[in-house]
Amino acid sequence: MRKYLFIFKSELMSNLQYVFDILVGFFGYFIMLFILFNLWQYMYSDPNELINGYTMSQMTWYVIITEILWMSLGGRKLCRKICNDVRGGNIAYNINKPYSYIGYSLFSHLGAIALKALIYTILGMIMGYFFLGGFPTLNIFSIVAVLITGILATVISILLITFIGLFSFIIEDANPFYWLYSKFILVLGTIFPIEYFPTFLQPILTYSPIYVVSYGPAKLFVDFSFNNFISVFVAQIIYVFIGYILCTLIYKKGVKNLNVNGG
Amino acid sequence: MAIIKVNNLSKTFRVKLKEKGLKGSFKSIFKPKYKVIKAVKNINFEVEKGEMIAFIGPNGAGKSTTIKMLTGILYPDKGDISVLDIDPKKERKKLAYNIGTVFGQKEQLWTHLTPYDNFKFFGAIYDIPDSRVEKKINKLTELFELGEFINTPVRNLSLGQRIRCEIVASLIHEPKILFLDEPTIGLDPVVKENIRTLIKRMNKEYKTTIFLTSHDVGDIEKLCKRVIIINNGQVVLDDSMENLKYHYLNKKIVEAKMKEKVNLDDEEGITILKDKGYNLKIEVDTKKRSVADALKLLNPDNIVDINISNMPLEEIISNIYKNEAEK
Repeated sequence: MRKYLFIFKSELMSNLQYVFDILVGFFGYFIMLFILFNLWQYMYSDPNELINGYTMSQMTWYVIITEILWMSLGGRKLCRKICNDVRGGNIAYNINKPYSYIGYSLFSHLGAIALKALIYTILGMIMGYFFLGGFPTLNIFSIVAVLITGILATVISILLITFIGLFSFIIEDANPFYWLYSKFILVLGTIFPIEYFPTFLQPILTYSPIYVVSYGPAKLFVDFSFNNFISVFVAQIIYVFIGYILCTLIYKKGVKNLNVNGG
Repeated sequence: MAIIKVNNLSKTFRVKLKEKGLKGSFKSIFKPKYKVIKAVKNINFEVEKGEMIAFIGPNGAGKSTTIKMLTGILYPDKGDISVLDIDPKKERKKLAYNIGTVFGQKEQLWTHLTPYDNFKFFGAIYDIPDSRVEKKINKLTELFELGEFINTPVRNLSLGQRIRCEIVASLIHEPKILFLDEPTIGLDPVVKENIRTLIKRMNKEYKTTIFLTSHDVGDIEKLCKRVIIINNGQVVLDDSMENLKYHYLNKKIVEAKMKEKVNLDDEEGITILKDKGYNLKIEVDTKKRSVADALKLLNPDNIVDINISNMPLEEIISNIYKNEAEK
């Protein structure tokens, strides 16, 4: 495990150069939230009114959390990097190192986005506080629980995107698959909670990655319950396991047929 | 005792072919065509412990493919490999702990970090305790003279400094074999010489076996006692450096721009390759005549510009082929 923590640390240290870029990037996040906040204000005639079980404040906090998870993830960059690594042969130079490529990809990307996630979380919380005049009711346990599910959500997203990226072993370019995945998460999992969708779609979404990568942690933040935490946590552990197995299988198969430029 | 054993090793690649133009592009989607390239064909060799061996050949000869199979990066199609009694195909990780690799064209260092942080990173991924890593860093910093820039981010280092750091990074875990794939590519002659000296010093100090591929005859001449030449995926020569020098590296190419024409016909040990106007290109057989002698014949006062070089590797290989055919 020490080696993976070092991979995380090294990537984090490398990314300390980009604090200014992260702050500039936050501007886009701010604009998006500002628009959504105004939209919800317009939709809710009374802030205490419930739409599909959510107050206006809960809806806004929901979007703040899902957008933090999504925008700090840097999924497109990760997918592009893995595709390029596979197509350009760079992946070969990781093969003869004493670590698992999947573990390397996971911890190096976690290190790459850790600072961004921290900055987005702090600034997102400040923004939410000023927009809405306070935080949802949380205690130490629920804060820790939300943090754990938030980190696991990021881990699952990275594993799923790594899996998509590794499809480059089979097809020429896996980026279009990432595009589809990102739109799926963005439309069905970021802007609206699962309860907003038609009844027939809800069970499907509950079993889909949306439940573990965005809905779960955000729902816990706006309306915490221990039972909910357990079901999100268990689902996330299952997804981590599935994601890791999928990545390992495609990687092992791909590496056997690897061709490397210049040799 | 042989620590690298290669028997009947072969590797083929399937390369997609595409006809030219838009029509060709569409065609390749529905009816893709592939060409099979035999990169390595039934090669055999062994390397002894502590040896410094040069594995050379022109572009596309199969050098890098072989190195990648020896280091577990590529799977061979056929044949057996044993590196330190480990099969790279089956026990990649175990092998990784025992070998080091430097690919001159591929950075393995984190460019935003300093060499020191990079070495600590490599120590951690090879599961070396912190105290041992520190000692090793100190020792290698001294050996490779990194003191001046050990705390400078890698992105700000010169290419020569970076290569030195790359080599040190691959030595942190004390590998028994170091694979160097074109370590001096793109370096100027002074830096090249410096790297060669350091590699030599390292081999002497740690008894590390060096498996070197290079296009640079100088690297091979200065570092290795044995040479394996590979061309078209086959071993065309496996001999001592001494023999290779005697037979093939005894010829120097002298290109000179002269003030006046010089007649060198019938001079022993000199073959005229080109004589056009005031430009002269000759081959000097140093077994028969020294380069200094040849320059005297040209008359130094008569020379406007001069370049002396080794015979290109490609020419050496074609000479080897010719000799094999004559035999």
